Amino acid sequence: MSQDPNHRRSPGRSPGSQSRPPRGEAQLRGPFLLCFGSAILWLLLASVLGLIASLKLQVPSFLNSECLTFGHVVAAQKNIFIYGWASNALFAVNLWLLSQLGRFELRNGWLATLGGLVWNAALAYGVVQIFAGNMNGFNLLEMPREVGPVLIAAFLLVGFWPIVAFARRPTEHSFASQWFVVGASFVFPIVYALTQLLVLWCPAFGPVQALAHSWFIQNLMLLWLGASGLAAIYYFIPKVLGRPLHGYYLATVAFWTYFLFAGATAPSSLLGSPIPVWVQSVGVVASIMMVIPIIITAINFHGTLSQRGGWAQAWNSTTLRFVAFGAVSFTLAGLLSTVFSTRGLNAAVRFTEFTQGQEQLLTYAFLTMVIFGAAYFILPRLTGALWPSAKLIHLHFWTTALAVIGSVAVALVHGYQSGHQLLNPAVTMTQVGSASLAFAGSIFAVLFLIGHLAFALNAFSMIFSSSAPTASEAQSD
Amino acid sequence: MNDRNRQPDRNRPRQGSPGHPSDGLTDGRLVELHSQLSRDKDEPAQGFSLTPIFIVFLFCGFGFWAGLYLTRNSGQFSPGVFDLDAPKAVADNGPKVFEPDAAKGEKLFLVNCAACHQPTGLGVPGAFPPLAGSPWVAGADERIIKAVLAGLAGEIEIKGIKYNGNMPNVGVALKDAQIANIATYVRSAWGNSAEPVMDTKVAEVRKAIGARGQYAPKELLEAHPLEAK
Repeated sequence: MSQDPNHRRSPGRSPGSQSRPPRGEAQLRGPFLLCFGSAILWLLLASVLGLIASLKLQVPSFLNSECLTFGHVVAAQKNIFIYGWASNALFAVNLWLLSQLGRFELRNGWLATLGGLVWNAALAYGVVQIFAGNMNGFNLLEMPREVGPVLIAAFLLVGFWPIVAFARRPTEHSFASQWFVVGASFVFPIVYALTQLLVLWCPAFGPVQALAHSWFIQNLMLLWLGASGLAAIYYFIPKVLGRPLHGYYLATVAFWTYFLFAGATAPSSLLGSPIPVWVQSVGVVASIMMVIPIIITAINFHGTLSQRGGWAQAWNSTTLRFVAFGAVSFTLAGLLSTVFSTRGLNAAVRFTEFTQGQEQLLTYAFLTMVIFGAAYFILPRLTGALWPSAKLIHLHFWTTALAVIGSVAVALVHGYQSGHQLLNPAVTMTQVGSASLAFAGSIFAVLFLIGHLAFALNAFSMIFSSSAPTASEAQSD
Repeated sequence: MNDRNRQPDRNRPRQGSPGHPSDGLTDGRLVELHSQLSRDKDEPAQGFSLTPIFIVFLFCGFGFWAGLYLTRNSGQFSPGVFDLDAPKAVADNGPKVFEPDAAKGEKLFLVNCAACHQPTGLGVPGAFPPLAGSPWVAGADERIIKAVLAGLAGEIEIKGIKYNGNMPNVGVALKDAQIANIATYVRSAWGNSAEPVMDTKVAEVRKAIGARGQYAPKELLEAHPLEAK
């Protein structure tokens, strides 16, 4: 397929855009490139840290220093990936999506730029503090607590513009992408602020703290990252294929059920812990009811792609190839978490790599791939340039796709097996681990790093080569 | 690079050739088209299938299951239940204590005993002995429990009248608590006034006598002589 002339053309096929006023576009360019550029830098840092962490699993004495312990590296890597890469990139993509769909002209774009700068500065401070050992014991809340309010303030400056764009849309009707982005933009600041309060600032007593934390994780994963990713898929599939979504009238149901149930799935990750059993049961029920939005989005996405050679078109378009990969991954991730939130299966796979595999399926195979696809669509339109190298695009797709398929598959299969071994009293603890697993992890980490380097090289050379002429263009307007 | 930047807009949608891979939709058209799709759902367009009905049934099924699961696995929504396998007693805040209940005993008496002893507790003269005012049911509770559990067969004298009794072992099919309630009722009704009977006592006696045939009244009297009034 790589020699397909159609595909060869596609990476660079997209300079310029619809009849949008260039002034609004110029306003959008600054905040977008700031957020997306810093997102790419954070992604590179995260993949280097991921490589270091996987090497430490093989050679524990590797980079043996007080600040680069395994715990510090892994915590920093996760925070950088979620807040540095995914959130930054979503600021940019969400803003762009809603500006497009609502025909919104960004004014006072410096506010968004300021927000982006504050967000990244606070994150950098938090990561340094993690390496200094000044961290909290809660997953994705490791950064010291003074970072929290700053991140919320920065989010209100940079992440709230999609809501402004939605409120100012000229038309009555709205599109599914807009609902999901608006929902996601409301969820993050509220959930993050409440969790900061309940976990770090005025800690609730024991079990409630754990419950609040798991609620935060589920909301962050499904309603901030997940809903934003869904919005992008809802936009790019009909946009690139040039035809309406299959069964679109169901999308409303998908939206409401998704937002209704996703927030309540949290206790299903706390089965068997000392929280009242009815709370756990509510979590299980919500996790299983999540199958409703998953089925509907599957009908919307895969139904559209299955009509009239949609899959072939998706394969030949750089953007859609990534986005369709993400759409399939979302369906898989949803079905997996539904099936494995039932009490019997959950007892087997909890505390194993299986949950890491599920998380990677959601945050990487779904969300990150969709963001990549969005970048391949948006960046040429925004910079007015072409992607410099089609080879690097191929390299990017194949390395990241293979690495994520491999590492998710290994985590799921091994997690499932070791979960059953752990339940078997005849198997001792030392028999459960496996050294070859750490080796595979390092290979995948190297592949991720190569893919991200290729993407960064391509993106930055495009951004920098185009910045001078486009800036003068905007002024001459 | 400059030339590339000024490349003509090749992505601008052309009119009249929908469906071509490179065409794409403009954003205004995208929103408009989809809002039309969600408005006109009554008018089946192309690509409409039976999915809605299938989905409605499926989702109703999920909702039904969810309600069932929640009621069955929630420990009565009590804040004190942390484990599905916790014994039921814990669900009601502490172990359940039996309290002899004459009202329940009356209902059971009417079903199980009143055919012979009559609802009035007076029995049938010459055939079935009375319970009202009978010294057999008062005093030591083992006597009434044993009679109910195993039954009585033989000559029995109550308040100076002799009966040739043949009482079946009605208590075998009843639970300990039920027998305790019946005995409590009998010992407190019709002017009788004796201590209530506990279910633990019934269980104790049931275990002690095992499976056996009817008692002879004489045998029962030897074990538990009638108390003086």
